[in-house]
Amino acid sequence: MIEIEKMGKPAVPIVSGRFEDDALASSRAFGMPDLQFVIVPRIYRNLADNLCVTQTEEVMDELISCLTANSTNDTTPEDQESTLRYEGEDRFDAILKMNSDYTRRDWSDALPVFPPTESAVADLISGTSLPSDHVVCDMPPGFGLATVEKIAINSALAGAKPEHMPIIIAAVKCLSEMGDHGGKSLLMSTSPHAPILVVNGPIAKEVGLNPRSALGPGRDNEINIIIGRAFYLCLKNIGMWYPNKMDMDTIGTTRKFVHCLGENEDMSPWPSYAEDRGFKASESAISIFVTDGELDVQDQGNTSAEGLLKTLAYGITFGNTTLGGSRAGGHERLIFMPPDVAGPVGGEGFSKKDAREFIHKHANNSLGKMIQYMPLGDARVHENWHYLRNQTEEEILSTEVPLLHSPDDIDIVVVGADRAKTLVFPSGPSSATIGIDQYR
Amino acid sequence: MHLLEVSNPVAQQRGMMNILRTNPRPKSLDGLTIGLVWSGTHGGDLALNRAGEIIQERFSDVSINFYTGGNYPTPPPIVKQAGEECDVVIGATAD
Repeated sequence: MIEIEKMGKPAVPIVSGRFEDDALASSRAFGMPDLQFVIVPRIYRNLADNLCVTQTEEVMDELISCLTANSTNDTTPEDQESTLRYEGEDRFDAILKMNSDYTRRDWSDALPVFPPTESAVADLISGTSLPSDHVVCDMPPGFGLATVEKIAINSALAGAKPEHMPIIIAAVKCLSEMGDHGGKSLLMSTSPHAPILVVNGPIAKEVGLNPRSALGPGRDNEINIIIGRAFYLCLKNIGMWYPNKMDMDTIGTTRKFVHCLGENEDMSPWPSYAEDRGFKASESAISIFVTDGELDVQDQGNTSAEGLLKTLAYGITFGNTTLGGSRAGGHERLIFMPPDVAGPVGGEGFSKKDAREFIHKHANNSLGKMIQYMPLGDARVHENWHYLRNQTEEEILSTEVPLLHSPDDIDIVVVGADRAKTLVFPSGPSSATIGIDQYR
Repeated sequence: MHLLEVSNPVAQQRGMMNILRTNPRPKSLDGLTIGLVWSGTHGGDLALNRAGEIIQERFSDVSINFYTGGNYPTPPPIVKQAGEECDVVIGATAD
């Protein structure tokens, strides 16, 4: 609607109740904070037809008013206090008060954060050669200015160290280079799309990123967690990725406690993921993937490449497929392949490309199950699939189709400890990879 | 007592640096062309069509144009067409 207002025409969206804060946040992100909209109580999508009509009738007076009366909404930017002060009986008490306030403002992940004092922030800025006021990018989905200083403040909250800064800065920049405006639509989706960060090259070992049992809590993943958390807090306070404002998950996911991990390059039979993307082994790089779920694919005793890859191909045929014309999130596969799978596969002469092609060839499933009983009359069903409207449910269920459009929809990263347990994520849009060394 | 001074982690938004205002509204919808832009989400078409009907009942000589790209977000050419062909536009959003 903002695009139409920019063309000089009044425009008013009808917004569902839960999305009121989203509409406000989006109107600010796109520079028209006085955008007028009307609110209906329920989301239309799963609402009975008669309720769609009646809840619209109830807001018609307001809708007509929005179309015929100039906006009186206040568009004055809020004054931001650059420094916040907390008084306590002692330093610990003051930090508790700060934490309570930061959580109330939704500036944290609701776990205790470290105080971003002037000296802590300055220390972190010393971890990069960039000046503090350098704008790395406009960070999606809310397009906040990601200055080195703001990145450092959020990194301080996470407990980061100066040597982590080049990775965190690169991660922020990398997100802005993903697909559709940095994956804006996916980040704001009602599905739980969450970023995950993978580092290749020397810096992974320098800072101590764990490439083995790399996901989850505990001492071994301290650095993975700190860097991932710093990135999440940047995404929140710079990208404005606030729950129920610009992060509209229906249920949510623990994957939004973002992790950063190193690829297990020492135990991989192949060039690293970043080398696949054109970087040298001597260069450090970061890749961001957006994931939409995860599944442990367990191999129970195969030792041949074909056996291991068939387990994987059959195991990744979960989730859904779209009948729409555009590529939505979740329609690729990110495979964290452990050395006990990658080793034998590479050892039998499969390149990573060969493995992707093999998996793609064998990953097929019932069309009827993958479209999850989608109403075929929906306007989003692309015309290429309209013929399904004339088929029976049994016919659609018995039609076998490839899970993915192409082998290029599969990303393989070697991660993990001993044992052939592969972690597979529905993912997409396609990952972005950028160099880290430029931010040292 | 201890005074703790810390930095604000929230960034300035690009969109708020060059604020645009919404356009002046017509005093009446009489004689205007109303655009209805549907994202393809179930029920949004019912809502928009009903809104169009009510506007036609309450105002005279109103034309209604219905637009959809069949998917979210509405493709830019469809949005542009609606902006060019209509006097005011109503959208149904929020999945």
